[in-house]
Amino acid sequence: MIKVNQLTIERAGRAIISDFSTEIPSASITAIIGPNGSGKSTLLAAIAGDLAPISGEIKIDGVNPYSLAANELAHLRAMSLQNQPFLMGFTVRQVIEFAGPADQVMTDLELSHLAERQVTNLSGGEAQRVAIAQALAQMKTNQCSTLLLDEPLSAQDTESRNRIIELLKKLAKAGATIVVVVHSSEEKISWADKVLKQSL
Amino acid sequence: MKKLLPWFTIAAVVLSTLSALMVGAAQVDNFWSALFNPSSNEILWQIRIPRVSATLIVGAALGIAGLMAQGACNNALAEPAILGTSAGASLGAVIGILFGVVQVGSLGAILFGVIGALLATALVFRLAALRGNLSSFSLIIIGIAVSATLTALVGLLSVMVTRADARSISFWSFGSFALVTKENLIGIAITTAIGSALAWKIAPALDRISLGDATAFHLGVDVKRSRYLALVALSILAGGAVSTIGTIAFLGLAAPHIARFIYGPTHRFLVLQSALIGSLILIIADTLARTITSPNELPIGLITSLLGAPVLIALVTVKNSVWKVQ
Repeated sequence: MIKVNQLTIERAGRAIISDFSTEIPSASITAIIGPNGSGKSTLLAAIAGDLAPISGEIKIDGVNPYSLAANELAHLRAMSLQNQPFLMGFTVRQVIEFAGPADQVMTDLELSHLAERQVTNLSGGEAQRVAIAQALAQMKTNQCSTLLLDEPLSAQDTESRNRIIELLKKLAKAGATIVVVVHSSEEKISWADKVLKQSL
Repeated sequence: MKKLLPWFTIAAVVLSTLSALMVGAAQVDNFWSALFNPSSNEILWQIRIPRVSATLIVGAALGIAGLMAQGACNNALAEPAILGTSAGASLGAVIGILFGVVQVGSLGAILFGVIGALLATALVFRLAALRGNLSSFSLIIIGIAVSATLTALVGLLSVMVTRADARSISFWSFGSFALVTKENLIGIAITTAIGSALAWKIAPALDRISLGDATAFHLGVDVKRSRYLALVALSILAGGAVSTIGTIAFLGLAAPHIARFIYGPTHRFLVLQSALIGSLILIIADTLARTITSPNELPIGLITSLLGAPVLIALVTVKNSVWKVQ
């Protein structure tokens, strides 16, 4: 479970999130939706421990992510970014193995045939799936209960999108707390158990 | 075939080393016999072996220093000369000489050089981070500016030392192995060993930092600490090398790129291969520098640029997905 209590976050002197509180239940998928600039990714980054709040508190399973060192935090949550930069020519397998064993997650995300391809030579959708696979591998290896995904579906075709959603449902059913940022124009969020709407 | 590639580099270094020991202004009689009988031949054992050893060590140091610079900055352009590290090492050594604490090419000069390199690199990173996030652009621009300032200071201070020291400083600043002694050879062997061990230790973190600071942090890397350690390794490696033999152009940039292109991006492997390729380029360059116009000697920096630049241009212009330039 994630608890957000009276959270305020500023970027460049501007309050992106102001006095925001919510509870995100475990064993469920929560979607954060809203227009561009409404602070969806900022909220996710704050939960991940990337952005220290000006005021307020975040707790993941009762633990304040900002009280942990990076290596401890990596056992509390796994996260994939919206636009993961791949500048160096590691293979897909190598990048996933930075987080944990790759074979199962590559099968789950239809990446097995790309295992030896350099990540610098992937399409947008493939690169997005590699980033998700890395987070899933970390989740399994470190036994994290929380998975945070920033717009994981934006570059996927319908088939891949459905496959990812089914995978997330399965993880939630097994007890994971999953938070997904979704661009509100993308689709109806019928697959989420809870929807948090951010506004400008 | 791919598995054999590292052995080709090792074989090339061994062959180049033997060639470097064989050739020079003076002929070494009964080379193989002299090679296996220490002190049997003065030219071989007193001049060429120390010099060739220094070439191998400095080449390895600058190759790994370049790798640390590029890995820590996540930037293909980074190298000790661009980040102000080399100029800082020069300034440190010259200050030591100016105050009469150390002499050109001494162990003390290495210590002053390493301290100068550390301070200059730290200054560049501190200034680049002043406006928030550390961007590659500000790092490179500030590095060039700091480097130019420190190089100008070296020039100004050089006119304040005695004529004999000024001549040595001038000779050294263009890069030369003529100042290698047994004493400073031990000094740079120590700095290179410490810097290489540190580079090896943080190499896995640099693999993850190549995915960006945010992802590295999500994977559990303490990005700030890893970057700081990479800069310490870079400063120890480049500081030791530059304070002993002066600035060698281009090697820190070219060696890691050539290694990366041939062997891929994994940093632990690149620590070894950048060292080998740095040694290989430098030993070939030094052999050419002292034999082309023998008995006169050319500045080695000229040869490293002439050797390294075309290889680097060829590697970058052919299809290359090892480092994607955005």
